[in-house]
Amino acid sequence: MNTDYIHIILADDDEDDRLFFTDAFDELKINTKVQTYNDGVELMDYLNAPDSVLPQVLFLDLNMPRKSGMECLEEIKADTRFKDIAIAIYSTSASEEDIENTFVQGANIYIKKPSDFKKLKKALSQVVTINWQYHTNGLNKDNFLLRL
Amino acid sequence: MNIFVKFDFNAVCEQILREKLEQLGVPYSIVGFGEVSFSKKLSDEKRNEFEVALAAYGIEIVEDQKSILVQKIKDAIIEMISADEGEINVKSSVYLADKLEHSYGYLSNLFSEVTYTSIENFIIIQKIEYAKRLIIKSDMTLTEIAFKLSYSSVAHLSTQFKNTTGITPSAFQRIIEKRRALSDLNN
Amino acid sequence: MPLKSLYNSNVFLKSVFAICLFLILFITGVSYKQIQDLSFSSSQVVQTYKVNVELEQIISYLKDAETGQRGFIITNDSVYLEPYLASREKINNSLATLKELTKQSDKQQENLKNLNVSIEERLENFAATYASYVKRDMDTPEFKGLFLAGKTTMDSIRSQVSNMIVLEGQKLENRRDTYKDDVRFTPIFLFVLVLLTLVLLVISYAKIQSDVKKLKRANAKLEVFKESTNKSEIIAKHGNWIWHIEDDYFEYSDNMFRLLGEEPQSFESTIENFMQFVHPDDLEKLSAQVEQMMVDEDLPFINYRIIRKSGEMRYFKARGQKVSGTDFKKKLIGTTHDITDEVENLLKLEERNFELERNNEELSAFNHVASHDLQEPLRKIQTFLSRLEDKEKNNLSDSGKQYVERIVSAATRMRLLIDDLLQFSRTNKSDQIFEASNLNHLLEEAKLDISEKIEAKKAIINAEVLPEGCVIPFQIQQLFTNILGNALKYAKEDVAPIIDVSYAKIKAKDDTRLDSQKADYYHRVVFKDNGIGFEQEYAEKIFELFNRLHNRESYSGTGIGLAICKKIVENHKGYIFASGMPNEGAVFSIFFPIDEK
Repeated sequence: MNTDYIHIILADDDEDDRLFFTDAFDELKINTKVQTYNDGVELMDYLNAPDSVLPQVLFLDLNMPRKSGMECLEEIKADTRFKDIAIAIYSTSASEEDIENTFVQGANIYIKKPSDFKKLKKALSQVVTINWQYHTNGLNKDNFLLRL
Repeated sequence: MNIFVKFDFNAVCEQILREKLEQLGVPYSIVGFGEVSFSKKLSDEKRNEFEVALAAYGIEIVEDQKSILVQKIKDAIIEMISADEGEINVKSSVYLADKLEHSYGYLSNLFSEVTYTSIENFIIIQKIEYAKRLIIKSDMTLTEIAFKLSYSSVAHLSTQFKNTTGITPSAFQRIIEKRRALSDLNN
Repeated sequence: MPLKSLYNSNVFLKSVFAICLFLILFITGVSYKQIQDLSFSSSQVVQTYKVNVELEQIISYLKDAETGQRGFIITNDSVYLEPYLASREKINNSLATLKELTKQSDKQQENLKNLNVSIEERLENFAATYASYVKRDMDTPEFKGLFLAGKTTMDSIRSQVSNMIVLEGQKLENRRDTYKDDVRFTPIFLFVLVLLTLVLLVISYAKIQSDVKKLKRANAKLEVFKESTNKSEIIAKHGNWIWHIEDDYFEYSDNMFRLLGEEPQSFESTIENFMQFVHPDDLEKLSAQVEQMMVDEDLPFINYRIIRKSGEMRYFKARGQKVSGTDFKKKLIGTTHDITDEVENLLKLEERNFELERNNEELSAFNHVASHDLQEPLRKIQTFLSRLEDKEKNNLSDSGKQYVERIVSAATRMRLLIDDLLQFSRTNKSDQIFEASNLNHLLEEAKLDISEKIEAKKAIINAEVLPEGCVIPFQIQQLFTNILGNALKYAKEDVAPIIDVSYAKIKAKDDTRLDSQKADYYHRVVFKDNGIGFEQEYAEKIFELFNRLHNRESYSGTGIGLAICKKIVENHKGYIFASGMPNEGAVFSIFFPIDEK
């Protein structure tokens, strides 16, 4: 791989979940840079800043105060500047309809937060790997749908 | 008088890279640190010009035999998958070994080392991507798609589709259709 | 039958009376004619006698003249000449009378003329005889000749007169004959006619009698009916009214007044008086609807409220219909129903329903929130546990390790329960959308959901072609997943599971467990497995929430899966039944009503 690192951002209001997330990437043998934000407003403030470095993969928790994951998703999808970002919904379980709806609204990945740290690591590594595949092999990102 | 400067080498290098790419006059994008992606394949002439321009700053185009070979493996796999049914009758391992004149074991190790995934995995991903394109674009049924991609049954295709993407082919189709309906609605 | 109906019809009586009237008129006519004829006949007889008398009179006058003449001749006394002198005038008078009497008969007139000539002749003969006698000589041939001629003329007159009398007698005879013919049949004919008239009158009378009886009976029935209507109006809280639109007045039934809380017929039934009872909020609406009643032929029910003088509010429901009566005047007949009790019950029911719905919603929300929000801390407990096991396991004592294991297994169990509860609460959501779906696809998706388990158990699933249906796709997929999962879970340990999925469209009437009111036909999908089965007595229990037939150690499960299935099937207004045989297998039959609209 020619890149130094993969840029990843997580927006989640839960401190423990942010900790698990960063720990998991720390333990994975992939060179990543992980940024975290506490809610949707903070996240969008960062993304909308003109000099922001855009991530390759953005993880969104659905239930966040002030601005929910769905609202962020809609805003991101409405802005062509963010079209190359792969969006991963990172949430507790939802109904099948709700999950399908996130895909319809433009999410690429849906990860149900696992209750096992090993599974979390596996899921995150899968996301990064497949995203890398899409990235390096010129695959159509519109068809990038992944559910873990 | 002395003043102290602090270099951000990354920023400097990226700035140089952008300048030289602009001079080249070819559509490009900087993918990550140290990687440039061209939307079209560079001609040898342009490539040489670019190489010389960068050499003045001590920047080299990193390229080794391994990554060239990996690219060749990928190309062969994509060719193999998009071939019409009946054209390739041998196992993918035999096909790749014959085509690239290396033992499959060697190719497999090399591929994993460079791409962090196995050839098998890559084939599956490519096949599923191809299946996705067929589901969206053509009016082929799942049965026909399964046959075209040399799956033993629809169930086999569906299972592999689901194992790879986490969703079923029909759910995939449904989502894409709804997405289109949604964008039609917004436009 | 037509005869009978003719008898019963009003036309019958009228025609009988007409016939009778005609007959009586006819009889009167005939009688009048008879009497006319009779009086004519008698006048004819009188006339004949008069003619005879006059003729006799003429003879007698002539005789008188003759006798006078002879007396004179014998006595030569002029006293005897007097009758002779008077006879001339008397004869002329008689002749005039005769001429008048016989003017209708040409023959008699002719005879009379001849008679007149003969009389004239005789009288001249008298005069001549007298003249010749004046010479006082009887033995002259002139006298003798004249005297004889006088006798001859007299004889001819006699015969003429008797002829005329005979003729007159004949005429009388003829007339009597024709009259007799007429008169002989007339009385019989009249008698028959009168008899017929009488018969007809008797029939009419009988008919009128029977009609009156019927009318009385009908009247009595009507009286009873009216009474029962009155009573039923009171019991049913109904009131009837008629609005004579053109004359603008109302007729209320007694109970209509009672409905308004008033004594029957205690106030003038005008629309103004009625409107005084109507609830002020409903006045405008009701007035508009009353206006509309006059325009539209058939109207829906009108609902409004009234306030009785006691202050009590009642709910009324009324309906009117425009009719044209026999007098061709426009009328509105209507009924009004006091529906206060119904409305109050409905309000109570609505309130209770609302409460129930709210309770249900709260319960469902509680269930959802509880299971959803409990996930978070549990997931963290589990994740931290997994971190503990990974990183710190070696720092724990043996019992510490054991405790951790126990905590992990308890947490796993809790995870299972919460997941299933959440699933259950989701099937409760009421805003699910039904869409046309292919059940085959849903079954395939369900198989994909549990493809790992199918492979692990090497299960074989044989499915017949399923139909399309209007269903909630996610729920049906969940249903199939749960039933297939159930069959795999309760498979025999040493036998590869075989699940047969069969389909049939069946008539509701062919299966007593189905409600044929809901639909005539049902889709029936049957899942049959070769697993461990169960005792038939538990066939209903297994669908109850948290109900388990096996202990947790041998078969993991929460007792929610089949409850979810039942819930889903009920959401689709269908049925699910189970039957089992220990060690043989279980059969799950699912029925969905086919909506044939």
